[in-house]
Amino acid sequence: MNKFWTIFKSEYAQVVKKKSFLVGLILTPAFMIIVTIVPALLADRDVQVQSEYAVVDIDGRGIGQKFVEALKKQKLSKDSSVEAYRLTQLYDMAGKGKEDIATLRTELDSQIVTKGLTSYIIIFPNPEKSDSVMLVSKSINFKTSARFDKAISNILASLRLEKSSVNLPVDSVLTMTRRIDMMQSSPGGKTRDFFSMYLGGIIFVMIVFMSVIGFGGILMRTVIEEKNSRVMEILISSVSPFQLMIGKVLGLGAANLTQVGIWVAMGAMLYSARGNLHVPAEVGTVLFNPVIIVFFVAFLILAYIMYATLFALIGSICSTEKETQNFMFPITMSLMLPVFIMMYVIQEPDSLVTIVLSLIPLFTPTMMVLRLNIMAPEAFSFSDPIILQAVLGFIITSLFTVGVIWVTSRVFRMGILLYGKRATFPEIMKWIRYK
Amino acid sequence: MSGYLELRGITKKYGDKIAVSGLDLGVPKGRISGIIGPNGAGKSTTIRMIMNIIAPDSGQILFDNMPTTEAFKNSVGYLPEERGLYKKMTLEEVILYLGQLKDKSRKEIEPKIDPWLERMNLAPYRKRKVEELSKGMQQKLQFVTTLIHEPDIIILDELFSGLDPLNIELIKGVLLELRQSGRTILFSTHVMEQAEKLCDSICMIDGGKKVLDGTMSDIKGRYGTNSIHLEIAGDGSFLQALPGIEKVTNYTNYFEITLSDPSKSNDVLKAIADKVTVIRFERMEPSLYNIFIALAGHTTGIAGKGGGHE
Repeated sequence: MNKFWTIFKSEYAQVVKKKSFLVGLILTPAFMIIVTIVPALLADRDVQVQSEYAVVDIDGRGIGQKFVEALKKQKLSKDSSVEAYRLTQLYDMAGKGKEDIATLRTELDSQIVTKGLTSYIIIFPNPEKSDSVMLVSKSINFKTSARFDKAISNILASLRLEKSSVNLPVDSVLTMTRRIDMMQSSPGGKTRDFFSMYLGGIIFVMIVFMSVIGFGGILMRTVIEEKNSRVMEILISSVSPFQLMIGKVLGLGAANLTQVGIWVAMGAMLYSARGNLHVPAEVGTVLFNPVIIVFFVAFLILAYIMYATLFALIGSICSTEKETQNFMFPITMSLMLPVFIMMYVIQEPDSLVTIVLSLIPLFTPTMMVLRLNIMAPEAFSFSDPIILQAVLGFIITSLFTVGVIWVTSRVFRMGILLYGKRATFPEIMKWIRYK
Repeated sequence: MSGYLELRGITKKYGDKIAVSGLDLGVPKGRISGIIGPNGAGKSTTIRMIMNIIAPDSGQILFDNMPTTEAFKNSVGYLPEERGLYKKMTLEEVILYLGQLKDKSRKEIEPKIDPWLERMNLAPYRKRKVEELSKGMQQKLQFVTTLIHEPDIIILDELFSGLDPLNIELIKGVLLELRQSGRTILFSTHVMEQAEKLCDSICMIDGGKKVLDGTMSDIKGRYGTNSIHLEIAGDGSFLQALPGIEKVTNYTNYFEITLSDPSKSNDVLKAIADKVTVIRFERMEPSLYNIFIALAGHTTGIAGKGGGHE
């Protein structure tokens, strides 16, 4: 037991004392914010400069002019008085020959490439019948595309209404058929929007991912270093391979928890010091939901022990870091699975596929953390299927982890003394069966 | 012979290759014993089996008449053949860590660090990182980590490889002191000369088998003294033909001749003196090197007088 503590403390101190640990404390969250939150904010951001557009009206009934009028209502931002779009020219091409139109399009295309023109639209004859309006632009801006779409659709709809027998003012029909953005709510009246589900899910999944890959990776490298420097022989002449393995896994695990603990404290401090900064209230309720936090900590520890043991296994059968790369790929993939299928899980957190995937031990920790975030259970009650599944997943994964530890301990004791080459699969199978 | 550490019928195979075959070995308490033999003879494999690093296929290893379990792990100091330590740790940290893994407390180890580092001329580096030391210094540090927990039995694999003559003397001095204080020491080497100077008893192995075993004086006595160190002024080509001489080995500055009958050495000397001027005619003890050659009949990977390679 004393020796276990010696290894535990040494592994812990070797990591926590390093400057890279301090740097990781700051840089990792910063990196996470950059790769997760910033893209979401950027996609949502208002364009800050006017974009120039042109209109080519081949129809000739003033649709082009109406479109220009409609676009004038679009401002750069809600409070701005500056129009979002500036017309360079409205070309009335009604009745012109195909060649003239082709020449004009070539000219406009070259303006897009070489000058400031962002886009132009072509209104073909009788668009209300043929739906033939085309937007030509260098790149697709979702917001612009949606605004143009809406403007032209409204104009075409009013044209159709005028020709139809509906005896109502055009505007009131448009008001009546106006589309809305529906709010989403779960039972109990909690308001959830896509952004907060995405944010909450990705923060928790990324913490699990980063700490497992980070600390598991350290564990793997120290095993390889000890093999290469032959310190391993001294260690094994003092402690049993099992003591060594467990001491390493848990010592680094403690360092991992220290790091996550500091992150959580930093996050809580930032959140409480947010002042007037607008943070959606639901972010707080998701991040500080006690049920989610309890499960998150439990799954984080379990994920770490399961994967760190696998990393110890990999370290013991490889002799260089390069050799470990083949094994790193499947591990990264299985940890990142929830991120890849996040869109699906957010929409179908309760489907059979999601449930089955979240009960496969290698996926359980990250999948369950993601699902818990989306379903946001209020209380710890077994009548809630997600709680039941999370507990079941925890038990299955714990049993699986015990198996992983058993296999690893058998391979580890042989592998750590294998120098200069990677163990072959038959060798590993033989080691597992050894007495 | 019953030893403090006792190996009985130890066999180890790697696939089809037999590394050690039916080896019996007793290491007497309070003595310095050597395992000698050429590279690849099975010395390191034997030591690793003693250290529980690899398991023998058959045979038994006993320490103080008990299996080598936890108690043995704490009372042994082991220096592996391949040297290496944690490069990023300070000397102090390495010593404390490895000492604590031998079940000693921090308090027990701490006061011993400075005296040991001073002895090894490493005192100024106590708070420095291992990677800042030269290779020779790292070896001395590793020697310290082997001994810091005051082990009863000390096992050193290829102890002298990579050390310069000054440091070899330093370490020899420490080993002789340890012997004085009753510690048991077992070391392996392929440098016969080192073994000859230090060991009370030796075990010579070749091809995984024991070829010779016993105390130093025993062995020297057993292998007689029929070798003569001869230096003459002039050509020695006639020597081979002289009666009473069995074998002549021509070295650059002298000859080593083997007599067919040691009691007739005077006759041989007279015969030589008749032909040339004799500068030196000295009866010598057979070196372990020569004994080994006589026993194993080859010289692969063995270093005789003049120090080791590697």
